Amino acid sequence: MEFFTEIASFFTFSEPNVKVVFWGSLILCAISGLVGTFTLLRKRALIGDVISHSVLPGIALAFIIGQQKNPLYLIIGAAISGWISTYLVDYITKHSKIKNDTAIALILSVFFGAGVLLLTHIQHSGNAAQSGLDQFIFGRASAMNMNDVWLFTIVGSIITLLIVVFFRGLSLLSFDESYSQSIGFPNEILKLILSITTVITVAMGVQAVGVVLMSALLITPAACAKFWTNNIIHLAILAVILSGLAGVLGSAISYTYNGMPTGPWIVVVISVFAFISAFIGSKNGLAKKVLQRNQNNKKILRENTIKLFYNPDEGETLSYPFDTVFQKSNMHRNTLKKGLNMLKSEGLLKVTNGAYKPTELGVKESKAIVRKHRLWELYISRFMHLQPDHVHDDAEGIEHVITPEIERELEKELDFPTRDPHDSEIPY
Amino acid sequence: MTPSVETHNLTVIYDKKPAVWNIDFTLPTGKIIGIMGPNGSGKSTLLKAIMGIIEPNIGYSKIFDQELDDVRTRVSYVPQRQSVDWDFPASVKDVVAMGRFATKGMFKRLNSEDNKIIEESLQKVNMLSFSNRQISQLSGGQQQRVFLARAIAQNADIYLMDEPFVGVDAGTEQAIINLLKSMRDAGKTLLVVHHDLHTAQDYFEHMVLLNTRLVAEGPTEKVFTKEILTETYGGTLTTLSKVASLLKEKDFPMRHK
Repeated sequence: MEFFTEIASFFTFSEPNVKVVFWGSLILCAISGLVGTFTLLRKRALIGDVISHSVLPGIALAFIIGQQKNPLYLIIGAAISGWISTYLVDYITKHSKIKNDTAIALILSVFFGAGVLLLTHIQHSGNAAQSGLDQFIFGRASAMNMNDVWLFTIVGSIITLLIVVFFRGLSLLSFDESYSQSIGFPNEILKLILSITTVITVAMGVQAVGVVLMSALLITPAACAKFWTNNIIHLAILAVILSGLAGVLGSAISYTYNGMPTGPWIVVVISVFAFISAFIGSKNGLAKKVLQRNQNNKKILRENTIKLFYNPDEGETLSYPFDTVFQKSNMHRNTLKKGLNMLKSEGLLKVTNGAYKPTELGVKESKAIVRKHRLWELYISRFMHLQPDHVHDDAEGIEHVITPEIERELEKELDFPTRDPHDSEIPY
Repeated sequence: MTPSVETHNLTVIYDKKPAVWNIDFTLPTGKIIGIMGPNGSGKSTLLKAIMGIIEPNIGYSKIFDQELDDVRTRVSYVPQRQSVDWDFPASVKDVVAMGRFATKGMFKRLNSEDNKIIEESLQKVNMLSFSNRQISQLSGGQQQRVFLARAIAQNADIYLMDEPFVGVDAGTEQAIINLLKSMRDAGKTLLVVHHDLHTAQDYFEHMVLLNTRLVAEGPTEKVFTKEILTETYGGTLTTLSKVASLLKEKDFPMRHK
């Protein structure tokens, strides 16, 4: 119960500092969701990790030089060392025998190590202003103040503006760099925009999330969003929303359990989002697959049922009582009933006095499915050299998959055949 | 007649080892031109150097007798299909729309005319019914068609295509070559990297035979001969590759001022 009162007190801003934490985490996380979309799409996830670990020595040095925790100084320091780290990774990859993954591991650990060393040095220096500097490692949103939030808002707006204005160029760069270059887009400038915004976002974000987990906040929101959409604009918007939400929830939880670092909680929340997305995401999600399977089963039942009413003789359409249909089918009684009801509601069957009679549309559908079945039988017997008595089972499955386009292709390839391998007529 | 593409002493060196060495040719306009050679012979590199995607270490190239930057809107490049990640969040139409960015630039909105051109381009490669399909769901042949549609949407005069026939089904291959022929008939120049010798003679009227160095260049009936093919595909020049490794090993410059 106490937990809920605490959470409620967070969202009602009953303490003045809560407002700062709320807006600070929201803005930071939203921006990193936006910037991270391109980090993900350009497959630079590990570079994000390098930058976030490498801002630590910059923060420490900025403090040593300035002797105070001015957020602007710290961010500038962080951005510079983050920038140097990416530059070094690219330089080493390009100009030495060391491969990219090795360069990443190398720079990350060297910079992070240096950062921890410097931080320890500061802590032992006895400067009172240093207290709380170590929170940059895991992040502590509650350490933010109103000035920080203003700074995040201004810098965040500039970053958002840059990305929105250059969205077309940045998307093309992420999809097809060579093509972008070939039509004369300024690839180097676009890359510069991305690395500057990434470095600055990380430099600001470590306040709330900490250097160790910052890269998760860059990558996970976009990775989550990718389960829901295949449109890059929607992807970016969704990443921003999910990330902002995770920021707010994460900092609310960390506020409630006094003394908990914010970063891990935000990352836990966004990871839960990712987990959920993987299961129920509309694109590539698990639930989608289950749904698809249901749809397939429905289609199969529907087509197998109407097939029972196929009548090779043109002319009068006959009515069949349920038992006749049931004997013809090898379906379960209830399954068949379900299928018949489905067809009835779709207007393919009419029921009079308990006897089923296909409508005009029903006749057409029954012909269509038999036609697909027999075309496929003919196709595989001809092109896979299967014996006529081996083709039926295959066609039973495939007939439901064949689209009108494929049907036309089959007809063309088989030169509009009239008889299947069992010498039955192919109805058109 | 102005030549379509000319290169002068074009040399690209990767990691000290030349990928293409001293390429010097002048190609005609209005033809389907094949760039042929074995694997690793520098075909793609040559195309990229002409397109300014790779900066040549030595030499230069011109298109329609001008610098690339001055004729960029008349030039279209089709990268290798495998060079991009088809899992990218985009639809078929989104990719073809990129072709319009060549004239629209980074900021101008696409209008109804652009949309018409996009649809026509999709129609030409027989992919109009796939407009809204996610590119991750396409087969190899369909991906290649989408790339071609994007190039067509650029409405260029010369098309540089990197291996458009790799990994596509027979139907797509035939459709593509028919399309190229109709583009040629409309006065376009097509420069196509290709490595299948069997079809080369039927596809190309003019050829560039490459094996790091230029082996031959000219009308197909003149250069598609047994001797030239043996020279092109008969392995690298041993001495040349020895010199190349020496350059690399001892860190010699290829040219010095």
